[in-house]
Amino acid sequence: MVNFAFLDWFWVVAFIVLMTICGILFYKLGKRSMADFFLAGRGLPWWLPATSVYATHTATDTPIWVSGVIYKYGLRGIWYTFFSAWCAISAFASTRIFRRSLAYTQAEWQTLRFSGLGAELLRGWIAGWQVFMNMFVLGWVGMAMGKLCNYLFGWPEWLGLILFSSICAVYVLAAGYWGVVMSDFQQGVIAFLVIVIVSFWGINVAGGPRGIITKLDALGEGWRINPFAFSGLTSGDFPLVWFLTMLVIAVIGGFGMGTAIDWYPEAQRIQSAKTVRDASYSIWSGTALIVVRNSLWAVAILGFFALYPNIKETAQSEMAWYRLGFEYLPVGMVGLFFAAVVAIHLSTISAHLNLGASYATRDLYHHYFKPRASEKELVWVGRISTLILLLGSFLYGLMMKEITQWLIFALWIMAAGIWLPSILQVVWWRFNSWGYLSSWVANLGLSWLVVWVLPEFRLIPVLPDYLQFWIMMVLGALIYLPITFLTKPEDMDRLVKYYVMSRPLGWWKPVRREAERLGLLAAEPAPAKGGI
Amino acid sequence: MSLIKRQWTAREADQWTKEDYLVFIISPLVYVMLAVGTALSLFLLWYGWVILAAALILLGLMIWIIDPKLKAVSADYETKQKEYLEEIEKIERWEE
Repeated sequence: MVNFAFLDWFWVVAFIVLMTICGILFYKLGKRSMADFFLAGRGLPWWLPATSVYATHTATDTPIWVSGVIYKYGLRGIWYTFFSAWCAISAFASTRIFRRSLAYTQAEWQTLRFSGLGAELLRGWIAGWQVFMNMFVLGWVGMAMGKLCNYLFGWPEWLGLILFSSICAVYVLAAGYWGVVMSDFQQGVIAFLVIVIVSFWGINVAGGPRGIITKLDALGEGWRINPFAFSGLTSGDFPLVWFLTMLVIAVIGGFGMGTAIDWYPEAQRIQSAKTVRDASYSIWSGTALIVVRNSLWAVAILGFFALYPNIKETAQSEMAWYRLGFEYLPVGMVGLFFAAVVAIHLSTISAHLNLGASYATRDLYHHYFKPRASEKELVWVGRISTLILLLGSFLYGLMMKEITQWLIFALWIMAAGIWLPSILQVVWWRFNSWGYLSSWVANLGLSWLVVWVLPEFRLIPVLPDYLQFWIMMVLGALIYLPITFLTKPEDMDRLVKYYVMSRPLGWWKPVRREAERLGLLAAEPAPAKGGI
Repeated sequence: MSLIKRQWTAREADQWTKEDYLVFIISPLVYVMLAVGTALSLFLLWYGWVILAAALILLGLMIWIIDPKLKAVSADYETKQKEYLEEIEKIERWEE
């Protein structure tokens, strides 16, 4: 338990009031249309979605997770957090293509890229899955806040979960994405400043940079400050092949859409940027901030390791960064720290509330139930969807202990087997909706087989995760590639329309030729070297 | 002809060219160097500062390469966006 003085409570209350008012102020803009409620009218300069990317991906559970991997693996643990680097290439490839498609959501993009029944099935599936996923993330992150409040104040876990998510819902319901992005800006700035203050404070408490190195050397743990301290090529707890697999997944994944679970919130930020250029810079710089933040955390957590090197329980070591703040900051500053924790919590909750509601409204209600709905009606459906997501997240949060393990497995399988198809749908004209749909279905079966069923029956050994990834990728391809070739290509008219609008990268020659034949595009200028 | 093209017409900028491919290589490198350089600099290790400085130089180079092209792509696309949005709303309302 932590004791708060008056000044501490002052910071907390002042910040919550400020953040909520800031969101509500944009009520009039948010209610103008669905494009305002979910995309802030597609008119934001790059730095607003950028801070939103950063703030959204700085959640209450993020320092817990980063503390766990850094405490266990040392500085090389930063590579566990490096999956966000898919934005390095995406910012200049798939972001550009997606922004030009003008799709509200990734689900909508499926019906612009593909056609017919397959496209509609994909849209329905991705929309439904995203509504569920956002509710799940809300429950998960909300419960992390519940646990933190239990640790700090002894509150029952449900109280922290419900209280802060409900405060956040006030401005999301009122102003939609306008409220989200404007509060995110304020929350992102507060969170970054406080992360810097707490991390430097922690480093100082642990003896300063030199002191930490000296202590680690004395403990025989000097290797912990080497980010490339691999345990072998394929052996040990941190093999080189894992690192290389991670790099491939993260970096090459940037050519696709949906190769990382974070693509979905980023897609909303991409469409809210006022130009293609703003979209690219917002995704790149928001993620750069995340990369820098992780390194800052890592050094502070290594300082914590130097102070407490013998913690065996993961649940304890995962609290490393929080403990530096709550146990070592002076009275008056602890409240500022907690206010920043509330800020990062609200930014994540608000983003997922609005994102989940956008799939429910645009892809399910508008597209399938009431295509002729007025803008006013759609904004109200957006609000009702937000409320349903909020209530659903409370239920998920309260049953989280039982389902977390299963859903983390679900997250993993969603990533592994559809990684390559998510790239192919962007870069290869011949890849069709049936190929992509079959990759999702195949992945569901294969991941159960490879990860659980076959090892359980001792038909194959329990494989390291990097091997599971490659095996699922190859096995999946053996299913979706034949299906792609055995089914018809997408309707050429749809492909041409999509090509002219989005100008995708990759293998699109037949579509390009057709667009030129129809007079929609002029013949290619003098060959641009390296262009496909 | 200069190695890096910095004057683009809208039509040229719509092609994927070597400037894009260069950025695809530089950008992940910048992230790796930012991650490693920031951490090692905080430990006050000299090579951390070198890596961080190299990351910032590469970042400047990346923007220098891609910004003129992104500006050209954006300027051209904005002129067509309204028409495209109307088209998409027709699809959404099952009018097409």
